[in-house]
Amino acid sequence: MKTQETVFRILRFNPEKDEKPHYKTFDVKIDNRMTVLDALENIKHEQDGSLTFRRSCRSGICGSCAMKINRLAKLACKTRAKEEADMHGEVLVEPMENMPLIRDLVTDMAEFWREINRGTPWLVWDETVASSSNENLLTSEQQQVSGKLADCIMCGACFSDCVSRVFDKNFTGPASLAKIHRFAVDPRDKVGVKRVSRLVEMGLWSCTHCYFCWSQCPRDVRPVAAISELRVLSFKAGDKSQGARHVNAFTDSVSGTGMLNEATLYLKTMRWNVFRDFNLILRMTTKRKAPSPFARPIPKIDEVRTIFQVAQGRKKR
Amino acid sequence: MKYAYYPGCVAKSSAPELYDSTAQLAQKLGIEFVELTAASCCGAGVVSEGDEFLNVVLNARTFAMAEKMGLDILTICSTCQGVMRQVRWQLDNDSSLVVKTNEALSKINMRYEGKMKIKHLLWVLVEDYGLSKLEQQVVKPLKGLKVAPFYGCYLLRPAEALQFESREKPTSLEQLITVLGADPIRYEGETKCCGFPILFVQRGTALEMAATYLNNAQKEGADFMVTPCPLCHISLDTYQKKASKQIKVNINLPVMHLSQMVGLALGVERKKLGFSRHMVSTATVLRGL
Repeated sequence: MKTQETVFRILRFNPEKDEKPHYKTFDVKIDNRMTVLDALENIKHEQDGSLTFRRSCRSGICGSCAMKINRLAKLACKTRAKEEADMHGEVLVEPMENMPLIRDLVTDMAEFWREINRGTPWLVWDETVASSSNENLLTSEQQQVSGKLADCIMCGACFSDCVSRVFDKNFTGPASLAKIHRFAVDPRDKVGVKRVSRLVEMGLWSCTHCYFCWSQCPRDVRPVAAISELRVLSFKAGDKSQGARHVNAFTDSVSGTGMLNEATLYLKTMRWNVFRDFNLILRMTTKRKAPSPFARPIPKIDEVRTIFQVAQGRKKR
Repeated sequence: MKYAYYPGCVAKSSAPELYDSTAQLAQKLGIEFVELTAASCCGAGVVSEGDEFLNVVLNARTFAMAEKMGLDILTICSTCQGVMRQVRWQLDNDSSLVVKTNEALSKINMRYEGKMKIKHLLWVLVEDYGLSKLEQQVVKPLKGLKVAPFYGCYLLRPAEALQFESREKPTSLEQLITVLGADPIRYEGETKCCGFPILFVQRGTALEMAATYLNNAQKEGADFMVTPCPLCHISLDTYQKKASKQIKVNINLPVMHLSQMVGLALGVERKKLGFSRHMVSTATVLRGL
């Protein structure tokens, strides 16, 4: 099979010797089939036995080998080295983000686990729905709702690449919220949707919907979609937080005029906090870009209102 | 070239310079717009958090309008583009959702067929108009300028719904910048989130995001940043001063809309591109041209 010489630039850090992390490059002959994990093992066996990384199953099941490959968190065992080299000209390998570095590509995942545990990530058995048989299976329809979420292998890739988590340490992160959603919609769970009552304090509204968690999840769990659904549930459960007010104000605006009214959205969401922005609003006004709170409805607004009625009627059913 | 034009809410509200400069650009390139004036807001990923089905039907109504005109939709906002492509993708992959959606649309005598395409202006320039043809139209090359492309989220992710270019290593903005005679720079953050979706909810976090990426671009020597999204523009330009204070670093980086940057190189009169509406002055960039 055709091979090509490829540069692997790997972040190295030995806490006993190094003051700070540094990069070291290795040349590796790769073929079309080799994964990044194969290449790392090749380096470890043939060039530098001290290179440290986690790995176990080699099959994308155990989630041990998550690391940043060309700046995005991926499983090394599921990532083809050639594809990376062809796209980026080299294979840059770094440890995951949003967690402290221990050595080379190994990170301390304690924070990730702490966040997972914040969400009571287990089924709280509801005896009242238990069937007479020993097993209490979900129907296929029920499983469709939570099935994807149960595929999570806790590799930490979504947590690593979560933009909100970088700046907001109170945000529990995508994996934790996906796990909460998995049990919130499970009819066998005693707590069920009541799980959403704790979500505001765990940062439910801190997610920006950047979709990195969706993109980087090796199991296609799509945590951001779960977060959206949790917000729907939280909203239904009477969430009155600033995030819920934002949704409310936005939806009100669209039902009223068909369009987003930026001014009323801002006023209704921020309330008295708008006074903090007095100078900004003044400058926007002088620049002729301050949105007006008075907006006329779009043509055929009746059609939009009918759609709202239909959707609301459906919700009630 | 003719499109059903969907400018979105912000271009008609707090970013009127985007609406105006896009009209100038379209005229210059001979692209015909039929504005969907009766289309509603796309929901911006917020309406769906109150009611997902409502969000689908609102957007399907817009799609049906364009289909009736026999035109593809052109957007100038990454968020509109992302939301609409996601709804379209949901409908493409769930026939029962199409049935339910059409049941709702029948109340207003409309029907969604799934025939039209949804394209952002960036994609139209790169694919439909073509970069080589665009290069021939450049009369005032942006020579010597270093430009930081800011892709943001919704033109790239989720890739399954967007299906335009690599989410890992996008190149469309770099290609466009090069064709216009300027030099694209690389910096950490060009595909990250500007923070806008949580600007009214988690202000500090949102500002820190915007500031970090602006600062990274500034450190790499950018003369200005360009964004295909008016919501990113709010975070990066309107709130730049506050963002700068948030991380206690002096940031002063002009941020242009895509249409303004292309318009400049194509020789559109500067006054008509709306730079006077920016919160961060673009004078340093314009003086050098």
